[in-house]
Amino acid sequence: MKVQILGMGCPKCKLLEEHAREAVAELGIQAEIEKVMDTDAIMDMGVMMTPALAIDGDVKSVGKVLTKDQVIEYLKGGK
Amino acid sequence: MAGCSCGCDGDCETNLIYACSGAANTGHLADQVMRALSRDKAGSSTCLAAMGADLSGFIQSARNATRNIVLDGCKVGCGAKIFEKNGIPFKQFIMTDFDVEKGKTPITGDLIEAVAERISGQIKS
Repeated sequence: MKVQILGMGCPKCKLLEEHAREAVAELGIQAEIEKVMDTDAIMDMGVMMTPALAIDGDVKSVGKVLTKDQVIEYLKGGK
Repeated sequence: MAGCSCGCDGDCETNLIYACSGAANTGHLADQVMRALSRDKAGSSTCLAAMGADLSGFIQSARNATRNIVLDGCKVGCGAKIFEKNGIPFKQFIMTDFDVEKGKTPITGDLIEAVAERISGQIKS
């Protein structure tokens, strides 16, 4: 599984990354966490507001700092 | 990109603009009006075709936007239908409602600016 955190490195982006890492650790799953900081790459994914979260290339959330529990729901395939 | 939400505590406005860009003169007008509105900072232009293709990043961006401004060329309303299909709120403007006749009215710079100005004044209403 690949989890991408899209954002240019602002505090909210870092917080979302932190929550994503906590979520992955809590679930005990194997997941690669990648930070996407390049504006063109972010735009190519259709993300107009950051931070954003994508799982296996599918954008799940835009412009929000998801909580750890919300990330867990997405990782479980919910929503 | 419309922006990073880091500095606004979540209360900043993000207006996204989508244009028909179809084959007729009205599609041409919608496309050019979108570019004029984007130039004038009324919102950020983005991709209606990607919405139609159900690309997740575009769909999620639309869901989280303050306003989605859909510029349809004619009353067929393809742009509006894409948003209805996805259950995403939007505000529609149709070029033929601005004294433009499909297949007939020449699209000039003056017309583009005039329509953009009229729409700009209605975006927040």
